Amino acid sequence: MKTGRRSNELGVLRPYDFEKPSVKLGYALLIALLILVLLISLMPFVWVVLAGFKDQREFIRGVRTVMADGSVRYLPRLLPEVFDLSLYVKTWNDTRFYLYYVNSLIVVAGSAASALVFNGLLAYGLSQLRPRGHRLVLGLVMASLMLPATTSMAPLFVNINRIGLSGSFWPLILGVGASAFYVVLLKNFFDNMPASLLESARLDGCSDLSLFFRIVFPLSMPINMVVLIYAINGAWSDFLLPYLVLNNAKWASGATKETVMVRLFSFQSSNAARDIDVIRAIVFSIIPPILLFILFQRRITDNVVSAGIKG
Amino acid sequence: MSTIKSNALKQSARRHRALKDLGAWLIMLPGIALFAFFVWVPLAEAVRMSFYKTQGMRTTEFVGLYNYSYMMLKDPDFWPAVRNSFLYTGWSLVIGFLVPMALAMMIHETKRGKSLFRTAVYLPNMMPALATIFLWKYLFRADQTGYVNMLLGKLGIAPVSWLSNAQLVIPVIVVIMTWKGAGATTLIYLAGLQSISQEIYEAAIIDGAGIWSRIRHITLPQIYNLARTLFILQIIAVFQILYEPMVLTGGGPNNASVSLMQLVFRQAFELGDYAKASSVSVMVSVVLITMTLVYNQLSRKKEM
Amino acid sequence: MKKFLSLMLAALMLLSTASAMAATVTLGIYPVDTDSAAKENHDTYYIPAFKELYPDVELITSNYTYAVETFTALAESGKVPTIFETWYTEPQKLIRNGQVADITDALTELGWLDKINPSIRALLSDENGRVYGVPRDGYALGMMLNVEVFEDAGLVDENGIPLYPKTWDELIETGKIIKEKTGSAALCLLAQDNAGGWHFSNIAWTFGAQLEVQDENGKWLAQLNTPEVVAAMTMVQTLVREGLLTSDPTSENWGTGFAQLGTGAAAMYIAANDAVNQPTQNNGLAVDKLMMIGMPAGSARSYSLSGGTPYMFAANATQEEIMAALKYLEIMGRAPVLTEASKAGLRADAEYRVANGIPVLPAFPVWTDEAFNQAQADVVAEFSNVDDRMFENYFDAVSAEGGLKMEEPMETQQMYGELTKVLQEVVTNPEADVQALLDTANANLQTILDENVNK
Repeated sequence: MKTGRRSNELGVLRPYDFEKPSVKLGYALLIALLILVLLISLMPFVWVVLAGFKDQREFIRGVRTVMADGSVRYLPRLLPEVFDLSLYVKTWNDTRFYLYYVNSLIVVAGSAASALVFNGLLAYGLSQLRPRGHRLVLGLVMASLMLPATTSMAPLFVNINRIGLSGSFWPLILGVGASAFYVVLLKNFFDNMPASLLESARLDGCSDLSLFFRIVFPLSMPINMVVLIYAINGAWSDFLLPYLVLNNAKWASGATKETVMVRLFSFQSSNAARDIDVIRAIVFSIIPPILLFILFQRRITDNVVSAGIKG
Repeated sequence: MSTIKSNALKQSARRHRALKDLGAWLIMLPGIALFAFFVWVPLAEAVRMSFYKTQGMRTTEFVGLYNYSYMMLKDPDFWPAVRNSFLYTGWSLVIGFLVPMALAMMIHETKRGKSLFRTAVYLPNMMPALATIFLWKYLFRADQTGYVNMLLGKLGIAPVSWLSNAQLVIPVIVVIMTWKGAGATTLIYLAGLQSISQEIYEAAIIDGAGIWSRIRHITLPQIYNLARTLFILQIIAVFQILYEPMVLTGGGPNNASVSLMQLVFRQAFELGDYAKASSVSVMVSVVLITMTLVYNQLSRKKEM
Repeated sequence: MKKFLSLMLAALMLLSTASAMAATVTLGIYPVDTDSAAKENHDTYYIPAFKELYPDVELITSNYTYAVETFTALAESGKVPTIFETWYTEPQKLIRNGQVADITDALTELGWLDKINPSIRALLSDENGRVYGVPRDGYALGMMLNVEVFEDAGLVDENGIPLYPKTWDELIETGKIIKEKTGSAALCLLAQDNAGGWHFSNIAWTFGAQLEVQDENGKWLAQLNTPEVVAAMTMVQTLVREGLLTSDPTSENWGTGFAQLGTGAAAMYIAANDAVNQPTQNNGLAVDKLMMIGMPAGSARSYSLSGGTPYMFAANATQEEIMAALKYLEIMGRAPVLTEASKAGLRADAEYRVANGIPVLPAFPVWTDEAFNQAQADVVAEFSNVDDRMFENYFDAVSAEGGLKMEEPMETQQMYGELTKVLQEVVTNPEADVQALLDTANANLQTILDENVNK
């Protein structure tokens, strides 16, 4: 029996098929198509970084050229005239972007912890402890999977204001702790944990709570990584509720509390932003996710896949 | 005598059980409290608000189905939004449902560089939604400075107004959504394909099956269940589309791309009418629940 | 230094008249974090002068940029800054919702009430004449021109002044030449959001249209499909068919229009005098290459849509706090009071503009105080960094008798929304049926008026 991770590498095609020239041609086309897909996937990112090097007139209109017939035309060019990194630095400083980075990092860190702890405890209760009546909670959690999150956005916003939490990071951080998706992921993993391990710990006199933190949590590192990566990415990218909650909010020092995505979104609603500054802000906002992706790429693609299948 | 003892035992066991249950509920309490505040109460509130009139954020008078009838009969943007939401769903099934499957099958066949293609395909998925939507807005700029038009210009094609053409705008938005979302789905299909054992293929080849025959009779049936689940999930997700039309076109031109959730946002946060917004979102939820139930029924029938 | 001394002198003189106030004033009008030049103005001049006069008032600087989505929430939780700036479109809505303070008494006490330009005062009052805000500056729509594009097209006279159009027909002819010689669009027309309808309503007026009327029973009637409006929209359709607009008007909003104009991608753009910093400071157009003219005339005369960016006050502010905030405005030179402090404030503002490549223009008269307006004019004359001829036609047009019109009063934003939808259809579909589209828009607006106003 062939086992091992790479044993099913072969697909429909077999070495025997390649003896036919039509198959060889088809395979070449396939590779060409995939390379095209690769380019389409990556091209926008390359483009936006290059575009950020232009100045406003170059970006909106193009480069001034005098045509053969004497008329003046502004022609668009792909590459910027000058590769001047100081333009990026200038936008970074002028818009005080580092403030937004700090705020985003705070929300991301808080959200990551909140996602693991709150959803984890709930999933633990539903999976292992199963007190009487837990089916009701499970049902309610599963039901909320079906309904759009944006339905509840307006009343949620009203409630956040009623309890005086607008302008604070807490609604955003705590909100991640109530995610049906994470609860289901975690619960599925906990369900498959060997019962014997938990039994022996209980016999040793371990309370339910410390059982979670001492045994269940450390053993769920694979699924924790998945939740962590989703939560970090989600917290960085979220913009609608953060905009409603953090718009115009400030620290005591007077610095803004808005996150990177809120700032980017306000470019959409406030009409006086220069396009080229928006382009550079886009670049700033995708740098951390790209770094995260590069560092954890193998982990991400492997774990996401297995979690997805089980889900 | 034994019954008294066993009764006492039963009682203490019950008490022990009750205490244990209490402990479990306490452990789950934080999560439940959060769910209540962030998910369940707002949903109930939305339903309740939809039957009232609101002034600012407070409900004033009970008006029954008034908001619903206003939206369905008088609001000029409601039916275009309904039409568009179904169009989005339809186009996404045409463009976006088969693409991940095809991509997965193609990547699965490659002999080398699987990892590279997997990574490249998944990268757009990891990027912040708002940033990529903005990005594509610039790429699809209507004049010759838009990158897509620049590329077409090299082929001698005149610039196209992608996002302001009423016929093109929804397919273009679906293309952007596919670019962003196909990666995760592709990886899931890929994993499904990798779980197909070699023996089946080898047996089929011995029986003389050609390439297409193998695909039709082995590959596709194996990923059928996966595809079915992803099908309904995609419908539910796309029907609620909000960010793309909001940022790319604002719903235009002339309501050609406005979606139902966009109406909710506009009513609630731009016009300040939370009651009407809630009524639309309740209607969307009802449609989604109906779709899921009908789908479950149909798939159960098929299995029989 | 001299400025600071004159401020101190003024402060000492006024110290005798300053009453002791115990209040907390949140300055929502403090400049945004990234505008260091404007912040410096406040930090070095206005705030110290204020503290000198009113040491008991606590000043909290906290920039508030008005956002329609979150303002209601802010008002409900009582966190609106004492004084804040909002858009010209908002006052009536905010007044109706009880979210701003009635400042009539404070204004009466200060003697400013009767000095507000009557046409702007109406915008800031309720139906009983109580006033809720103070105008920051007034504006009137006109047409901005990018002189460089006109130069490239050879459309300047011997003095280098562009040969500008006085009617829409002339604009179309001029536009064809510009397109042929430079490839730039003749006009940047907006069609992305309500600003499109806003601009269009002004165009419609120049064809003699009246977009909302009240019948003898007080019921409001939509008038979006009258022959005059159809004529205006047909003119827009001609612009579309001749290819004289930017390539995608449905992606143009108030801000991007300035980008098109400032970079020269469009030769002309409907804009107001209070936004002269947009094409220049923000989009790189040299200060001497910007021209402003009055709105072209259609089949009727030229009209300018006018309004004023208002300062408004939190509903839960006390009378002391309102008074203190108004005094801050006085120091900024935004009040019809001539003191050394306010004169210094005017000069500081003019210097800031010169330093940042923004045209220094005569202010639009929001106050009717002769002496104050003269002082303003003096400062402008001293610091003017533009050729007067470049703005002559604009100021002639807006000061002509009956040249100014206030925007339509009822459900204006929704009206603009309906007009924008028509614009979107017209600019994307050259075969659009203008009459039918306007009929639909009219019916929609009537429904909205009946639902929200005619009850």
